[in-house]
Amino acid sequence: MKAIIILSALGLATMFVGVYNFKKALLPMILLGLLAVIGINTMEWNTNIHYYNDMLYFDNWAVSFTNLILAVSILVFLLSGQYFKKNTDHLEDNYSIIIFTIIGAILMVSYSNLAMLFIGIETLSISLYILAGSKKTSLASNEASLKYFLMGSFATGFLLFGIVLLYGASGTFHLHGIKDYVIENHASLPTIFYVGILLMMVGLAFKISIVPFHFWTADVYEGSPTLITAFMATVVKIAGFAAFLRLFFTCFSSITEHFVPILCILAVLTMFLGNITAVYQNNFKRMLAFSSISHAGYMLLAIIALKESSFIAILLYTAAYSVATITAFAVLLMIKAAHQENDSIDTFNGLAKRSPFMAFTLTIAMLSLAGIPITGGFFAKYYLFANTISAGYTWLVVLAVFNSAIGVYYYFKVIIAAYFKEGSEEKLSIFPAYQLVLIITAIATLLLGILPGLITEMM
Amino acid sequence: MATANPIDYLPIIIQFIVAIGFVIFGMIGSHLLGPKKHSKVKDDSFECGIEAQGNARLPFNVKYFLTAILFVLFDVEVIFMYPWAVNFRDNLGNGTWFWEMILFVVFLMLGFLYIIKKGALDWD
Amino acid sequence: MTDQITHIAKTIPIEHYIYLSAILFSIGVLGVLIRRNAIIIFMSIELMLNAATLLLTAFSTYRSDAAGQVFVFFIMVVAAAEVAVGLAIIVMIFRNIKSIDINLLNKLKW
Repeated sequence: MKAIIILSALGLATMFVGVYNFKKALLPMILLGLLAVIGINTMEWNTNIHYYNDMLYFDNWAVSFTNLILAVSILVFLLSGQYFKKNTDHLEDNYSIIIFTIIGAILMVSYSNLAMLFIGIETLSISLYILAGSKKTSLASNEASLKYFLMGSFATGFLLFGIVLLYGASGTFHLHGIKDYVIENHASLPTIFYVGILLMMVGLAFKISIVPFHFWTADVYEGSPTLITAFMATVVKIAGFAAFLRLFFTCFSSITEHFVPILCILAVLTMFLGNITAVYQNNFKRMLAFSSISHAGYMLLAIIALKESSFIAILLYTAAYSVATITAFAVLLMIKAAHQENDSIDTFNGLAKRSPFMAFTLTIAMLSLAGIPITGGFFAKYYLFANTISAGYTWLVVLAVFNSAIGVYYYFKVIIAAYFKEGSEEKLSIFPAYQLVLIITAIATLLLGILPGLITEMM
Repeated sequence: MATANPIDYLPIIIQFIVAIGFVIFGMIGSHLLGPKKHSKVKDDSFECGIEAQGNARLPFNVKYFLTAILFVLFDVEVIFMYPWAVNFRDNLGNGTWFWEMILFVVFLMLGFLYIIKKGALDWD
Repeated sequence: MTDQITHIAKTIPIEHYIYLSAILFSIGVLGVLIRRNAIIIFMSIELMLNAATLLLTAFSTYRSDAAGQVFVFFIMVVAAAEVAVGLAIIVMIFRNIKSIDINLLNKLKW
């Protein structure tokens, strides 16, 4: 809770510090602020306080997801210094909107009232519509922004109608009120309640790009400014899945038979479509977009299992996925700085000769995304699949493992390009901030893989 | 009035009929009764002042758009004050009741200060 | 007076409100899927939100529970914010390509 208040103040401060022309002070201020917020947020561990008439509930899951979001945001901010160096006209606007996006994400992981879920999703989405279009003169960015805006508000409509129908049936917006209602009327739930669940599922599926509501993803990821894509691909996924799981675990875990079959079909479709389409991509950003869709498919398994341990599974998986994705985007940003706005995978050719360090960290990230042992991605996948098997969905896990095998192909395509293909020989200079980010992400990925107990024991 | 019967809406229907009927009557009546003379001057859109030129549907300056949007945003915030004001009397004993709204207005004013500083309201 | 209004509103069965909102919502969804003009798609989305708002008010009245109506305020504010951002995006695109027909925006395919 304190995290939200301090971040709001930080966002306002960012706006005014920029307006009064202390732009040099912006980035250090934000980074210090975010670190302070992580510290303050961690102090809420094990307190389990209900805030504001039970609008927000900061249990340990909310605290840990908040910390994960803040940590990923710090990495994005570290990358941003170099990225905005050329264009500082709207620096404070970009920064403050990113901070407001983070606030929306934190609301999404800590809500205990559907009103707060709605506010959180909208704060996150509306900020992202602006960020996606923040490259005002680039037509691709404009289109990405418009597409994201239209599809996002469309999804909001579904989500909202779902919330209204749940309210109509149960008479409350509180998650625990809805849970009690479901348990009391287990046998005789009205039709509008089921329609409400379905519509909310559609709305949330749009936000986390589950097939068949994924079609905006690749275009928006490709068109948005690369740094914003990195932010979108990580923070939105974390917040979206945490919100999805929180809603379904709290409210509907006693009537799983009514929606889990649908989720199973969606998960299978998402995994296959994401992976198979990713194989055919030559644009690195599009490939990462489809890979993010397939990862959404794997993470859906945790929601299908719908157990307390699903939270750990999602936390681990989003952590491993976000860290690896940030690495990939950091390397892409650096290559783009040298190659003038080309996203093709060919630009990675010969990366190992141009910068062995970058090639090495990229390899770790790709191995982690593919789920190869000793990286964080492997353990996260293992935990997720084990969790799903123990819930009795072995056939889904078999399909998921098969899909991971497809995934290996296109992740290795990047590694092969970096190590075995001939490319430009010119050395790449690496910016200090990027070096720091790459070192942090590489260590985090390996740490998550070698000592996963750090997270699982804590819970 | 315990229940509303359809018959209760009769006055409204009568009013509708009268309103629409008067318009139709006026249009048809003036068309039938009025003399029909056309001349170049009479068909002009303005009969005095500067001569009309161009289309009325001109694309207008984007500055108006910005002002209009900012108006909508600040205008809508007022709906949060309605429930607060309606319950004001019942909550006089509540120490924070007044200051909550002050805080809200302070945030709103910070936004206002920001758009002024950003030059969104400058006309030149 | 307010009790009377509530009472009159309740003389219409709740199903009718649900049907009306569902129809409005469906019109909105169809509008989004069929129309190609960004502004009209946007209007259809607003129609979807307003269908939800209408139903929310009806439920709130039937249950004599103010929470639903407070939620309506939030929806209105969020919708206004969305309008502001959405129109700004459309104006930005119009400045670049002088049109708002989304078929012209085929640089990134659907």
